[in-house]
Amino acid sequence: MSDYDKDSKGGRGAGKSAAGEKGGGRRTFFRRRRVCKFCAEKIDYIGYKDVKLLAPFIPERGKIQPRRISGVCATHQRALQTAIKRARQIALVPYVTE
Amino acid sequence: MSTRQYELVYLTPPDTTEEAIAELHQQIAAVVERFGGTIEKTENWGRRRLAYEIARQREAVYVLEVMNGPGTMTTELDRRLRVLDIVIRHMIVRVDEELARAERAKTRRKEWTVKRRTRRGLPPEPTESERRRPDDDDDDLDSGGDLGYRAGGER
Repeated sequence: MSDYDKDSKGGRGAGKSAAGEKGGGRRTFFRRRRVCKFCAEKIDYIGYKDVKLLAPFIPERGKIQPRRISGVCATHQRALQTAIKRARQIALVPYVTE
Repeated sequence: MSTRQYELVYLTPPDTTEEAIAELHQQIAAVVERFGGTIEKTENWGRRRLAYEIARQREAVYVLEVMNGPGTMTTELDRRLRVLDIVIRHMIVRVDEELARAERAKTRRKEWTVKRRTRRGLPPEPTESERRRPDDDDDDLDSGGDLGYRAGGER
């Protein structure tokens, strides 16, 4: 529960001030550049043991973050999915958090 | 018939003694040997917090075994580990294919780089000054969080 306030700064809200300047008052969404983290950093193997690697793709609730939000490419999302599911089995990562 | 590589991770309660873990390792090694397999490496990760409760424990000792052997070996290991009370959770995963795939991807990329660079008349290997630091964009994502995973997103 205490994690809520701690993390409210992160994510998509960040670019608001930069893009909202000339947008004419409309809802101007700041789109983050969509690059697959694994492609960009040339990570070939997404292992289930590396919690640090998986953590950014597991939001608060414990669900797997969809590709449309994280920008991960299809190939890597698939690998990521199995890795997270395996990590869940051995309790490195939660299935759900209340 | 064919040898495959597997990774076995098992969890024991946090108050398990070193001797008990050593004995468990011996048992596993015996099974592996009986099936003509080998244990490539053993890693004790020590006590870790569990992401959720298992057998009324919040923590557990993690042990990883990387081993080679036939598939029948894993069935037997699985059956035995299931019975032992000292093992509260275990998982066996086949890894050789994935590792091979990762290796292929790596070599393919390397070849591409070399090809591309020679076409442009550059030296085949990137020089020290061209190399970009791999981890300087948004690594603030995984700071903090005592569970090791990020609690994030606005909800």
